[in-house]
Amino acid sequence: MVGNNGVGKTNFLEAIYVLGLAKSYKSDDDDLIHYEDEFAKITATIVVGQRERVQSIIISEIGKKAIVNQTEIKRLSDYIGLLNIVAFTPDSMNLIKGSPLGRRYFLDVFLGQSDRAYFLALSAFKQVLKQRNELLKQYGVSHKIDETLLDVLDQQFAQYAQIIIHKRQAFIDNVKEKATTVFQQLTNSDSLLTLKYLPSIGNDIIAVLQSKRKSDLHQAMTLMGPHRDDFEFYLNEKNAKDFASQGEQRLAILSITLGLVDYLSEITGEIPILLLDDVFSELDSQKQNYLIRRLIESGAQTIITTTTLSDIMSANLVRAKRYTVAKGTIKEEQPSGQHD
Amino acid sequence: MEYPKALEDLIQAFQHYPGVGRKTAERYALFTVNQLDDTMVSNFSDALLQLKKAIHPCSICGHLTDVDPCVICSDPKRDQTKIIVLESAKDVFSIEKSGNYKGLYHVLNGVISPVNGVGPEDINFTSLVKRVHDDVVKEVILATSATQEGEATALYVNRVLKSTDLIVSRIAYGVPVGANLEYADEVTLTKAIENRRVY
Ligand SMILES: [Zn+2]
Repeated sequence: MVGNNGVGKTNFLEAIYVLGLAKSYKSDDDDLIHYEDEFAKITATIVVGQRERVQSIIISEIGKKAIVNQTEIKRLSDYIGLLNIVAFTPDSMNLIKGSPLGRRYFLDVFLGQSDRAYFLALSAFKQVLKQRNELLKQYGVSHKIDETLLDVLDQQFAQYAQIIIHKRQAFIDNVKEKATTVFQQLTNSDSLLTLKYLPSIGNDIIAVLQSKRKSDLHQAMTLMGPHRDDFEFYLNEKNAKDFASQGEQRLAILSITLGLVDYLSEITGEIPILLLDDVFSELDSQKQNYLIRRLIESGAQTIITTTTLSDIMSANLVRAKRYTVAKGTIKEEQPSGQHD
Repeated sequence: MEYPKALEDLIQAFQHYPGVGRKTAERYALFTVNQLDDTMVSNFSDALLQLKKAIHPCSICGHLTDVDPCVICSDPKRDQTKIIVLESAKDVFSIEKSGNYKGLYHVLNGVISPVNGVGPEDINFTSLVKRVHDDVVKEVILATSATQEGEATALYVNRVLKSTDLIVSRIAYGVPVGANLEYADEVTLTKAIENRRVY
């Protein structure tokens, strides 16, 4: 998709992302609805081999509604994961440099898409964390605590946290392996890209919660748990946040992105859609060639945005459909006369 | 522009219903003004008032009833040794419809949720503790939802009743964590009660 900045290319990618994940990677739900309208609706026909299905997501003031082939899907957890999405956007750069919050969001998005048990455990965990923090806060006001209730919440906290930590570890191990290979091929080097999971809480979760109960009560919040987890990127055994160049960081994230396409294909049995927002302009011809070859190999439908076609080597565009975007409208371009 | 007061009052009344936001409430209120005649409106308002007068929680089990105690509590043919604990009266209707359970009920009318300001003392729980202290009741079956709050409530009741001689069991679910009881069909519900496990 070719078009100047601000004409709506990113909005289009965002719409595909929302269709798959029922929320945006950059906007609040409210901001997805046009200010004069009651709701936003995104619909697409999804073609998988010989099969077709029509998926819609409706976002309104009272919540979200998911529809597949005219049947409403009652629970969003049954909907998310039907259409898998991997995105590389300018915001993706924050994965290394940004806060742990963004990295946890990253884990949750990909595990949530590919693993229903993770999605459910995470929803339940977030809920029990809120409950626990509220109870701790009430203690701050009344200096009374229902210890039985706190024990119950600890028990639930541990139950859900265990699932989340275990699955995060397995996910990082799996994606790390894939990204390491991609990075070496992409950079044509033997540089070693790795990921390291940093869980905030150890194995015996109940024991840790018990031993930290006093400080949790004092601070009126839960100080340890999956909501404080993080992971780090290492390049040749040095922390990429501090020691990798901007360019190396970009390639590291691109490697993870490509690794995720393979991960989701492997786990879900369905090839995800890949969204690449403004990535080619930064790549030299050798890396462009590699990226295109990988995309073709993976079989993933890929939607690429760029401000100018001259950023992409024309040989790499032979198999691509081209669209121009202007003032919020998208037009398919005829391929004639483009072979310069 | 603001709505006239009478219209605004009705809009806010409709907004109390689950799943009704501001815009839907506006549509309902305008529909009431424009499309319903006086008889329909007065029947509607009478039905609402009658409902609150006639229906109240059973003084023993908390189930919604128009007689006290309710027909289930006063039925000598029901198995007096078993009590199923539920979070809402709606679930009593679901289990009664499945037709295979012959014991008694206890409706908590809520779930423990500090976030919503609901503690154990805010639900119909102390009456359950009193109720099971006679020698008749042998088993308490916890059938709150498999949601976080439903699960927390079941765990809490279990911890409090653990010191007694009662058998405390939790119904088994054929649906994953995070789901509500209302989505289970009758067969699933019957199975779930049969397959309850002791805590
Ligand atoms: Zn009763």
